[in-house]
Amino acid sequence: MTGTTPFAFEFAPAIAALPFVSFLIALAFGDRMPKGGALGGILATAGSLLLSLWVFVTVSGGSAYVHDIHTWTILDAGGALGDVNLHFGLLLDPLSAMMLIIVSLIALLVHVFSLGYMNDEGETGLPRYYAGLGLFTFSMLSFVMADNLLQAFMFFELVGLCSFLLIGFWFREDAPPSAAKKAFLVTRFGDYFFLIGVVGIIATFGTSRFAVVGDAAAAAFPVEAAKVLGVTEGTATAVIPGGMDPQLWFTILGLLVLGGVVGKSAQFPLHTWLPDAMEGPTPVSALIHAATMVAAGVYLVARMYGFYLLSPTALGIIALVGGFTALFAATMGVVKKEIKQVLAYSTISQYGYMMLALGAGGYVAATFHLMTHAFFKALLFLGAGSVIIAMHHNENMWDMGGLKEKMPVTYYTFLSGSLALAGIVPFSGFWSKDEVLYEAFVHGLGTAGTQGTLLLVAYAFGLLAVFFTGFYTFRMVFLTFHGEPRSDTAKDPHGVRWNVKGPLAVLGILAAVVGLVNMVPVKKLTGANIDFLHKWLKGPEALKAQTSVAHYTDGDTSLLHEGAHYVAGTLAGGEVGTVLISAAVSLGLALAGAGLAYRLYNVPEPVEHTDKLGAAKDVLYNNYYQDEFQVFLAERVTMPLAKAADTFDQSVIDGAVNGVSSVSLFSGRRVKRVQTGLVTNYALLLTLGFLVLLVAMAATGGWF
Amino acid sequence: MAVPAEYYLVLSAGLFCIGLAGILTRKNALMFLMSVELMLNAANINFVAFSLYWGNLTGQTFALFTMALAAAEVAIGIGIILVLYRNFGDVDVTDAVGMRW
Repeated sequence: MTGTTPFAFEFAPAIAALPFVSFLIALAFGDRMPKGGALGGILATAGSLLLSLWVFVTVSGGSAYVHDIHTWTILDAGGALGDVNLHFGLLLDPLSAMMLIIVSLIALLVHVFSLGYMNDEGETGLPRYYAGLGLFTFSMLSFVMADNLLQAFMFFELVGLCSFLLIGFWFREDAPPSAAKKAFLVTRFGDYFFLIGVVGIIATFGTSRFAVVGDAAAAAFPVEAAKVLGVTEGTATAVIPGGMDPQLWFTILGLLVLGGVVGKSAQFPLHTWLPDAMEGPTPVSALIHAATMVAAGVYLVARMYGFYLLSPTALGIIALVGGFTALFAATMGVVKKEIKQVLAYSTISQYGYMMLALGAGGYVAATFHLMTHAFFKALLFLGAGSVIIAMHHNENMWDMGGLKEKMPVTYYTFLSGSLALAGIVPFSGFWSKDEVLYEAFVHGLGTAGTQGTLLLVAYAFGLLAVFFTGFYTFRMVFLTFHGEPRSDTAKDPHGVRWNVKGPLAVLGILAAVVGLVNMVPVKKLTGANIDFLHKWLKGPEALKAQTSVAHYTDGDTSLLHEGAHYVAGTLAGGEVGTVLISAAVSLGLALAGAGLAYRLYNVPEPVEHTDKLGAAKDVLYNNYYQDEFQVFLAERVTMPLAKAADTFDQSVIDGAVNGVSSVSLFSGRRVKRVQTGLVTNYALLLTLGFLVLLVAMAATGGWF
Repeated sequence: MAVPAEYYLVLSAGLFCIGLAGILTRKNALMFLMSVELMLNAANINFVAFSLYWGNLTGQTFALFTMALAAAEVAIGIGIILVLYRNFGDVDVTDAVGMRW
């Protein structure tokens, strides 16, 4: 940081504070305000967006900011660690600045869209709804700006709470409360590991900061970890428990934190909550899936990427889980009937791609896909919301059809989002997904041994998923918008207003063009320096050695090379050839999937083709029996264990306690009979006691 | 000619046992009181006998103390017996058994 703090950073806390104020206002005065508090939320998120843009511009100017806002307590950890500072802080660098814009922009659009989806549809409980949105936005923005893991964990939990409140918004029906509970419990299961990881990291490094600027006394844990492993030079302060191998211990810590990520980002095997979360209002789904809850997990890995890069094992697991989830979820999306269900599985699948990218060392690819996905997935959800308004809240795609002529704005924006999701050139999703796959491919080729094989397997999963993505995306488009109307509501849909069309238009354009910020294949082919996102993520000078992509992945001295031992390889045609082949294969597969959907479903009277799947049909309809499996785990494994523990507690622990008391009770009841009240008996006992004493003393004293 | 100390001890032990037997066997509170006096005086005999044996007056002094103590004890004992009589119309110790479980 140079000299004085840039002016924009002084205002950064307000980015999060504004939605919080709107939350309070909606909660307190929402029922007395026009639109049930929506206007406050719109103003607040618009303010956040403006401030975020300002921060973005400032960060672009070469500044970064780490600042402690409030310290709650300073613990004395003793030994080498000294004082441990637990605090709220801000970390503003390229990654968080980018995420702030995404979150506040999508929150703003979701607020506007909610006017159409909630207010115009005459929902009740609107103040509660807008309060929830405000709190959700506040939590996510604070999470994004967090400069330490503990603060991140707290807002991570708050995000989980908000998703619980909003998914269960229609709490008088049966399904939403149970979906909300499921979302809460499943993500909480992962967060439990996260919490242990946070404690472990603080206990190991004495700090949970992601990065530091200037202040030499403070430390950042990814930096310290790199020093411990000798990847970067310097003396590290870290306490490894029990003389364990630091590499192993860091892997364990990384995997513990990953538990929270897997839960929140709905990765296999904790993905089951996400499809159920579709019970919430559609704008909420857009917010959850595009910018807040689900994005939080991936963002967290990106945030502490310097730590994960030190553990090849953790990276391998991330890549494999991500690749597998991408394919796994995509196959389930193929058979769904409800439009939102298809989108739910596509979300899981797309976050799988981001995890794959992170695991394969594609930091830029992952953040790029996070960004493009945020726009096109928000667009698709809002588009689906528009369709649902038109269909009078019927979500079954088999009742739709032919909506193309009736609602052109929705159709064309939805199409833009679908092309991006399927990864068709030149829409945004193509550029980011191609980069994800490219990174996995080249690192899989170049890295020797198990690591490389693992990456290639994950890459194969991801590549296969491209085909399924293309298929289910266009199945959804054709069933919804093409063909003949298959129900009366589809013949005469409900119209939508500007507050629905506006956000759709904004996102539709973004989904089409935002991929242009990082056209790596074009750069590799022509040599033009147009990988703007990559250059921008190289970041300000102050954080060069901490969160910059140059430090992470670029060049021979980067952590990717020194810590994770990844090497990029190429096919026979050199770098250009590899780029071309990778892009051509993924585009070809996407087009093949889309083409199959075109053949099967772009007909006037489409029919279900799922019967052709044979036995696989039931498996897919039942989501690979994952829900049943989890219920089985809960009922057959956890429950007996809990019962056994309960029995142990009741019988052994309580038994010992109760046993002691009942023994004394019983003996007391017997012994009290000695108290006859008869003075002669007392005298006799006294005498006998004296005699016994006398005899005993005589015997030990040696009188006899 | 001096009587050997053993004889005094045997006498005092006998007296003590008579008193103890009285306490253990009698029901009458007055007999209790008397038996206690016997036991106290058995102790007194010991004091005096050892005082003579060692040629030292401490034992005799203690015997006087014991007598004073016995007088006080009788005063309290008679008081208790009076109360016993008032409450139970008798001085039988086996009547007063209310202080128990």
